[in-house]
Amino acid sequence: MNKPSNVVLMIDDEPKIRRFLRAGFELQGYSVIEAENGADGLKAATFSAPDLIILDLGLPDLHGREVLERLRSWSNVPVIILSVVSNEDEKVRLLKAGADDYVVKPFGMAELLARGEAALRRYFKTATENPVVTAGPLSVDLVARTVSLNDSQIRLTRKEYRLLHILATHVGLVVTHDQLLKEIWTGNQRDNIQYLRILVRKLRQKIETDPNHPRLLVTESGVGYRLQARFEETAVE
Amino acid sequence: MNSHLPIDQKLAKPRARPIGIGTGGASALDAEPPSRGVWRTHVVPLLLSFLGVSVVTAILLPLRQDAAANLVPIAYLIPVIFAATRWGIWSATLASIVSMVEADFFFFPPVYSFRVEDPQEVVDLLMFLIVALVSSNLASRLRHETESLRLREQEIQLLYEFSRLLAACFTVSDLVSAIQKYLSRTLGQPALFFAARTDAHFETPPFGSVPGVVHARVASMKAQIGAPPVAILDEPAQNVWLLGPVCSETTVHGLVAVNIGGGSREAVEIKTRRIEAILEEVSLTLQRIDIENAIKDARLHLQAELLRDAFHGTLSHELCTPLATIRGSASVMDTMPAVRQDDRLHALVEGISDEAVHLDGFIQNLLNATRVTAGGVAPHLEWAELRDIVNAAIKGRARRLSSHKIEMAFAEDLPLVNVDSGLIEEACGQLLENAAKYSPSGSRISISARAEQTQVVLSISDQGVGITPEEQQQIGRRSFRGQRHQGVPGSGLGFWIASTFVRANGGTIDIASKGQGQGTTASIALPGSPPMQPSELADLRDE
Repeated sequence: MNKPSNVVLMIDDEPKIRRFLRAGFELQGYSVIEAENGADGLKAATFSAPDLIILDLGLPDLHGREVLERLRSWSNVPVIILSVVSNEDEKVRLLKAGADDYVVKPFGMAELLARGEAALRRYFKTATENPVVTAGPLSVDLVARTVSLNDSQIRLTRKEYRLLHILATHVGLVVTHDQLLKEIWTGNQRDNIQYLRILVRKLRQKIETDPNHPRLLVTESGVGYRLQARFEETAVE
Repeated sequence: MNSHLPIDQKLAKPRARPIGIGTGGASALDAEPPSRGVWRTHVVPLLLSFLGVSVVTAILLPLRQDAAANLVPIAYLIPVIFAATRWGIWSATLASIVSMVEADFFFFPPVYSFRVEDPQEVVDLLMFLIVALVSSNLASRLRHETESLRLREQEIQLLYEFSRLLAACFTVSDLVSAIQKYLSRTLGQPALFFAARTDAHFETPPFGSVPGVVHARVASMKAQIGAPPVAILDEPAQNVWLLGPVCSETTVHGLVAVNIGGGSREAVEIKTRRIEAILEEVSLTLQRIDIENAIKDARLHLQAELLRDAFHGTLSHELCTPLATIRGSASVMDTMPAVRQDDRLHALVEGISDEAVHLDGFIQNLLNATRVTAGGVAPHLEWAELRDIVNAAIKGRARRLSSHKIEMAFAEDLPLVNVDSGLIEEACGQLLENAAKYSPSGSRISISARAEQTQVVLSISDQGVGITPEEQQQIGRRSFRGQRHQGVPGSGLGFWIASTFVRANGGTIDIASKGQGQGTTASIALPGSPPMQPSELADLRDE
């Protein structure tokens, strides 16, 4: 990936966390700006125009969600949330409020970098618009509406393709149940998460090597689904 | 027995009649108290009084000529006062009358005759009788007062000692032994304690014996707060037994049975009063113990709550933040070329990462445990794929499962389950962890899931040490750890957390083993989805 001048803004009150984040991002060629509270973070977001924001939820002055909401009132910059609570409802709320993804502490740098890259890719896609999304052995041509697995084309039903399409446009990022339900179904069926589960099951049978151990279309418990961009990210920690 | 109660015996009247005990409500005793010693206590003093007067007469007779006539009445006052102070009013009255008669007979002319010639002397004799009666009355009253004062002082002294004994009591059993000790010492008879049972009856003490009649009475009694003491006569031995309840304001702890011996109604009443006073002290002490316990409980509760809050706050910040730093820093180091090229460095960094993950799992466990204790498990139910939940659980514990072969066998069209995925994932992870912990490395852990009516049953089987029937009974308890596994690290919270989370989701958890060394199977049954309606199937069809 070409990212010599990508600027990442880290908003976190813990100096030690900022230190390793800085090292991790700088190793990957990012330039890093730090802010230790919400107010400073919003200021830095305005004046330094970062390409990516890493936002901690437990800030001394403002709640992370408030920072996110204020930021979203004028900017579309990708935001990855750092949180200690593995609370699904909170995650869904944050994603709804405009966060691109989240990482739960403690996390490995590779995980955060993958999320950041996925968010950046999606952010810049509007400009470059590559119609083919690849995820491991899977490639989805968004223009030709074709899906191939290990270079051989596979047949999907309309709803299966719709589901894969949404996930592919967010490749590497989590997509909430709500979002998927609203984009695939209409009317009352929108609330029926059972439909989504069954559709996912069917799609997995077509794209996964072992549907019992999905590696491409992974579940984010209580939140949604994610199409993994790279296999090693699913590797066990 | 009687030798311990000299004073009371002397006070007793020469007859016995039914006695009512204590505070009115107590049952009356329809029996004659024993009349032994009446001769010694009542007849002998009268004879001695008579004798005393006669001795004075014998001494005065030779002096009749020399002594002034007015010395005679004064000399006779000596045996009268002596009898009054020594034996009481009846002996003194007898002595007064005998004195008057003997004085008249021996000293007042005409001597050796009961006649009195001089009217002046008649007045003298009558005056003597009045003085003798009044002074003997006063003297005997004084004696009585002194005696009861002495008794009261003794009683107070004993009670004071008992209070001191009670002040050192901190538990009910301390108290019971204090009562027993005290009563045995003051009454010279062992006091028996019948502990109250949960069904409001009383338990027979393991040692000491009571007469059959007392036993029958205790068996028929029910524990009741504020019940008055009951007196029972043990006819063959002519002993009175007192049954006094030991209770605080809220609980009856038991019944004390004391043999207070025989004697008059008065004697029995005195002892009853004393025992009542003791029981009152006891109930005050019990209240004090109750209050102390309540305060202790409240303090413990508060401490636990504060600790829990502090624990949550501390865990999320003071532990998780450093842990995030360690994990994150190690992961950054792991991407550095210098580390990647050196196998030793790489292994060290991996070790740091692994341990940080392990520590995180442990902290999550503790958090879960406190969450359960705080009663804060509020499941967020939604339809979920059990495979996803199990996969997440396996992934979360990959390191601890790495030395086992995991096999999964899921029914093809397994219904969805209506659960909180996070909680079930945790429960499942705990069971997997236990399976790995208690089975040899390299062995197989099989995970299977099948539909059973409206439920989905997930089973996790290992080839490990199994469970003995004794362990089976205790396994649901918090912090239970089998005696055989003291060497295996763990908190003993795993199964408890798992079962709490499963129950919070409306499921059931079951653990079974064919026996020691035969492996264990843990099963979780969860509410599953009903089969799809035709309309729903139509919604799904999109070919």
